[in-house]
Amino acid sequence: MAWLALAMPALAAGASNDDAAAARLLHAAHARLPETWWQALPAGLAVEPRDDLPAHVGGRTFGTHIRIDRRLLAPWSGGTADPDHDPAARLALATLIHELAHVLDRSPHGGLSRDPRLRDLAGWPQRRLLPGRGANAMRGRSPDTYELTDPREFVAVNLEHYVLDADYACRRPALAAWFRSRIGPPRAAQVPCGPLMPLLQGEGGDGQLGWLSLDPSRVYAIDYLFAEGNDVPMSRWGHSMLRLVICAPGRVPGPDCRLDLAWHRVLSFRAFVDDVQISSWRGLTGGYPSRLFVLPLEQVIDEYTQVELRSLASIPLTLDRDAIDAVLARAAQLHWAYDGRYAFIGNNCAVETWKLLRDADPRIGTRLHWRGITPKGLLAALERSGLADGSAQADRAAAERQGYYFASAQSRYEAMFQVARRALPLPAESAHAWLDLPARSRAPWMAQADLRATAALLLLEQAAQRRQELLARDWLKRRLGQHDGEAMRARGQVRDLLADAGVLAQPAALLDGVPGYGLPQAAERSAVVERLATRNWRLAEGWPALRAQARAALPASQRVQWQEIEANLDLLRQRLRALADAAP
Amino acid sequence: MIRPLLLCALFILPASALASSFAGTSAGASSAGSSASSGSTSGDDKVLMAARDDAAAFVASDGQLRSARLEAALRQLRASDSGAVQADDLALARRLLAL
Repeated sequence: MAWLALAMPALAAGASNDDAAAARLLHAAHARLPETWWQALPAGLAVEPRDDLPAHVGGRTFGTHIRIDRRLLAPWSGGTADPDHDPAARLALATLIHELAHVLDRSPHGGLSRDPRLRDLAGWPQRRLLPGRGANAMRGRSPDTYELTDPREFVAVNLEHYVLDADYACRRPALAAWFRSRIGPPRAAQVPCGPLMPLLQGEGGDGQLGWLSLDPSRVYAIDYLFAEGNDVPMSRWGHSMLRLVICAPGRVPGPDCRLDLAWHRVLSFRAFVDDVQISSWRGLTGGYPSRLFVLPLEQVIDEYTQVELRSLASIPLTLDRDAIDAVLARAAQLHWAYDGRYAFIGNNCAVETWKLLRDADPRIGTRLHWRGITPKGLLAALERSGLADGSAQADRAAAERQGYYFASAQSRYEAMFQVARRALPLPAESAHAWLDLPARSRAPWMAQADLRATAALLLLEQAAQRRQELLARDWLKRRLGQHDGEAMRARGQVRDLLADAGVLAQPAALLDGVPGYGLPQAAERSAVVERLATRNWRLAEGWPALRAQARAALPASQRVQWQEIEANLDLLRQRLRALADAAP
Repeated sequence: MIRPLLLCALFILPASALASSFAGTSAGASSAGSSASSGSTSGDDKVLMAARDDAAAFVASDGQLRSARLEAALRQLRASDSGAVQADDLALARRLLAL
């Protein structure tokens, strides 16, 4: 038995070889533990080599006795054990440190695993709403899934890595900072962490992914991005997202960055639906995975204002620099690790967005205790507590100009129709009636339109095309739900493509089999590049092919409308270009 | 009945992938969202191309409908072309439409 009191194996005669190994191991652990940790350990701590531990258990602690599997000690039997290069020697050291972490946690100076802040950082839920909802959803990119057992094991596993890994602080920055504040810095040399945050972002509507190296110092502000409900009653609660106001390269961070829309990114919790049919039962009961997506702002603007015809309000959060950095760090952690379950009541986008903010910076949770469930309710609460500043919304026109409000395209259509109607005696009374005409009947008016009317007719024709797309989609959904061979085959193709797209929903899956945990470091990134290219290529080939197939299968009347609308759009674009070019 | 799921927007790929670009991307809006890390056009060009629909609305409404995307493109034009500094907004918007 090796006693903690022994500084070094100045071993008494008769001590067994294993005791000598245990003493060397303890000495090696001592050399690596932060001083506070070492001092917090009780006197009389002993390491005892054992043969009777259950299979798969390397160490176990009873009071002040740490039992270690005798076989683990073999690499430490000589004086040359090298845990930095010999995995077996490292395993023994990690096992001992794990047990010492339990001892520390139980000591009067410990209490790490009971600390609410640790539990937030680690992903243990604060309240258990439903049975089975108490599990830790931070499952992705775990160094050792044993950490998900309970908060005590989480602390022990993470302290192993905190002490032994030179890059723990780069992989789990928030946890490393918290451990550092509680028990002091690790004694081993640390590799410097770069400032960039690795994220996978959606690129384009087909689910392609790109690597985004986010530089937090380029993020000027974070806005609460709220998608308003439209007149469909079921969407009236809206949607919660966060907008990162990222400055264009070369621009000094400041208010000017607000117009760098092409560089802004959106953090959005969404359920990932892996099939063509949606089940409301799965939606209610947590049957769909919910994950944190990173999307270009302009894609999100188009998705809402053009496709869904909903407006977006962007309300600045009043976060200081530290809070912005903390939110970004938390977002990166969730992006790689979070594997939640969408639940209509308990875990929807508003709840998850709020948890992201609150868990990122405890000061936010101190200023606001929000217990609601709706995106609109969260916005109101954020404004009431001064965490969000909605003053830019008062002047709608200015808000639109400055990027605080993105109006639904719907609001434009009537205005566009009136412009065209003033120039031409169109055979319709409203934008709606105009779009209801067969595309062929709209065509003759286009050749006579002046610049302004051409611009207006182009936007209206694009609306006609989107309407046609929705019709095609509805037809397709019904078609894919049928049971003949062609529909089943097509459905299989959709599922295959969704499996590739699913990576966007779970970035960690892209790194399956690649060693490493937490935020991916340079080595993992290079391993990812090829996988990413393969998947992107399959998606870029697969969806257009499937669309072409679907389009060929559309009823003849829809196909004709398609062709005519496309001909109209070609005509209008050419005409607009020519008229604009000729204008002074 | 898909009501509950619509509380928050979903990432329903069949919908977005099959519908939003069923006919290939149209000029302007839907092709604008891709990031600066892909494609051959520069970020500057993307800002201009992304603003074309909004420039059309601006020209059609004779300057009434102004969006942030248009403002970004006007700023871009003026920053990259000294001749554009003095030009009025409508003239620059027309230039975007002629691209």
